[in-house]
Amino acid sequence: MNQQDIPALDPATPVILEMCHISKAFGAVTALVDVSIKLRQGEVLALVGDNGAGKSTLIKILSGFHQPDSGTIVSKGKEVHFGSPRDARAHGIETVYQDLALIGDLSVYHNMFLGREYHKRILGLKLLDNRKMRDLAKTYLDTLGIEIPSVNSMVDLLSGGQRQSVAVARSIYSSPTVLVLDEPLAALGVREGAHVLGLIQSLRRQRNVSIILIVHNYNQVFEVCDRINFLHSGEIVLDASTSDTTEEELIRIVKSGLGREAIAAAAAEVQRQMTQS
Amino acid sequence: MSLDLETKKAHAATRKVGVKTPNTILERLLVVLSRYREASIAVVAVLLVIYFQFGSDGQFLSAQFLGVVLRDTGRLGLIAVAEVMLMITGEIDLSVSGTFSLAPYVMALMSVAWGVPLAVGAVAGLLLGVLVGAVNGIITVRFRVPSLITTVGTLFFLQGIVVSIYNSQPIVTPVQEPFNEIFGESLYDPRGDSLWSWHSLTAFTPLLWTALVVAAMAMVLNRTTFGLHTIATGSNIVGAREIGIRTDRVKVYNFMIAGGCAAAAGIINTCQFASADPAAGGPFLTLQAIAAAVIGGTSLLGGSGTAIGSLIGAFVVATLNNGLVMMGAQATVSDIYLGAGILAAMILNVQVDRLRARRRI
Repeated sequence: MNQQDIPALDPATPVILEMCHISKAFGAVTALVDVSIKLRQGEVLALVGDNGAGKSTLIKILSGFHQPDSGTIVSKGKEVHFGSPRDARAHGIETVYQDLALIGDLSVYHNMFLGREYHKRILGLKLLDNRKMRDLAKTYLDTLGIEIPSVNSMVDLLSGGQRQSVAVARSIYSSPTVLVLDEPLAALGVREGAHVLGLIQSLRRQRNVSIILIVHNYNQVFEVCDRINFLHSGEIVLDASTSDTTEEELIRIVKSGLGREAIAAAAAEVQRQMTQS
Repeated sequence: MSLDLETKKAHAATRKVGVKTPNTILERLLVVLSRYREASIAVVAVLLVIYFQFGSDGQFLSAQFLGVVLRDTGRLGLIAVAEVMLMITGEIDLSVSGTFSLAPYVMALMSVAWGVPLAVGAVAGLLLGVLVGAVNGIITVRFRVPSLITTVGTLFFLQGIVVSIYNSQPIVTPVQEPFNEIFGESLYDPRGDSLWSWHSLTAFTPLLWTALVVAAMAMVLNRTTFGLHTIATGSNIVGAREIGIRTDRVKVYNFMIAGGCAAAAGIINTCQFASADPAAGGPFLTLQAIAAAVIGGTSLLGGSGTAIGSLIGAFVVATLNNGLVMMGAQATVSDIYLGAGILAAMILNVQVDRLRARRRI
């Protein structure tokens, strides 16, 4: 799982998704100030930054869970409005939230198809086609190499890694154009984390789906991502390709001080060095 | 090489973490209890029947006495099942007894004052119940008032309306066949009617209607998208919203179902006695119905519950109420048993889940 495994993304690849000048405040708390991000076809973009930097808010706007105060979202060249998570899903944007959004009291296969259930008609009644959902879920999880005791198990009874895998599997089942993963590796053991990372790498290799990844471990950022956006106090302070910057530089920015100015200055310094070289 | 692969496979099989197969008797019991919530309460119900049958020298299983218990079961069960769906979403409705009194009162008034047929009045009462549910739901989700408080408010409000309309006088309702005999009036005469006749069947109509509603609810809960979303809403409301389930709407619909069921229960009760009594549904009725739902295996915390269990729970409550009185106990004493029963059922429900989660079976 090395950087060399996967060829760098062609710079001419079209932009598939843009969030332009997004601002959002919750009452007196400003979460995002004029944030813009771009995502190209098949690109893996890392969203990094400290706790409370606004990463989760940004992706919850993208997933339709929150609505921005100002700014626009452009998907495949067209401006879109997401009033609810359903709208975002309809536009091919799938999100795996930090809390995974799995329902503990439902079975794995019901979770897989929650919100897009299969039905069959019996005597004119629209009933759940449980057998179809069970079979599809089982086949799909097997294809991805995800090991769970049974698709009939209640999610409450699964381990952390199994839940994570089910949540990721659910989000890629509908072949989305954009996949958003909010800290997919948090709370995972080494082996389970490697499995999820491998899943992301194989998606990246195919370059069919664009991925936004929120991660804290910079080592992993360089392992699986094409580009980094550094978010601090609700603003993007650094936008760099992983091939142009190094882990040390990233850490230097983080450690450069507590103030916004200090971090912005350090980020600008790194950016300048990049353009020079 | 192939041997190596074999051992790896074997290793992978044993490594499957998460859920293990139950080994000891205790673990098997836990699985059965938690998967088939109805099973444990059904056992309790059978034991109670046996106890009262012997305790009353064979009086309990007589047609006459069982008829009383089953009619009570029907009335209580219809309100209990109304609570089940709502409790699964994590909400509760304490105003059902208010609706239980109001709906038939409106039906009776319309009939007495304007000569409206009972069937039409019943539809009006039913719609009124659904409307009360909608108001409860909207206040709860829009104004973010906990449903416990919302429905205490509407309970007093409705109760106040019922007693103020007609100076808290019961209204004697006209008897219009076949409406009354279909919806609760018992035509059974132990002296002349055979057990297998229409008249005998009418003795059980409250129970039969309830059984019909319970069956419908069980299907809605287990076999429809709405049921799935109801469970999701109660189990993990944030997650359900994140996945795009309209949790507010799910809750309001379930409040409306609860209101409709409570109204239906009230109308059936009035048909049974040909009288609309403003005091028919005291707050105690709501609490007994909630007790029935909880005893039947519905969690007060949301996320899980069973419609069929609530009917068995209603039978247990009705059996305790009537059985103890029949054996000569004071009516008040039966409440002691009922209280203990609720506590025991609640402890059992919570502990079964906890034990199962801890052992991962």
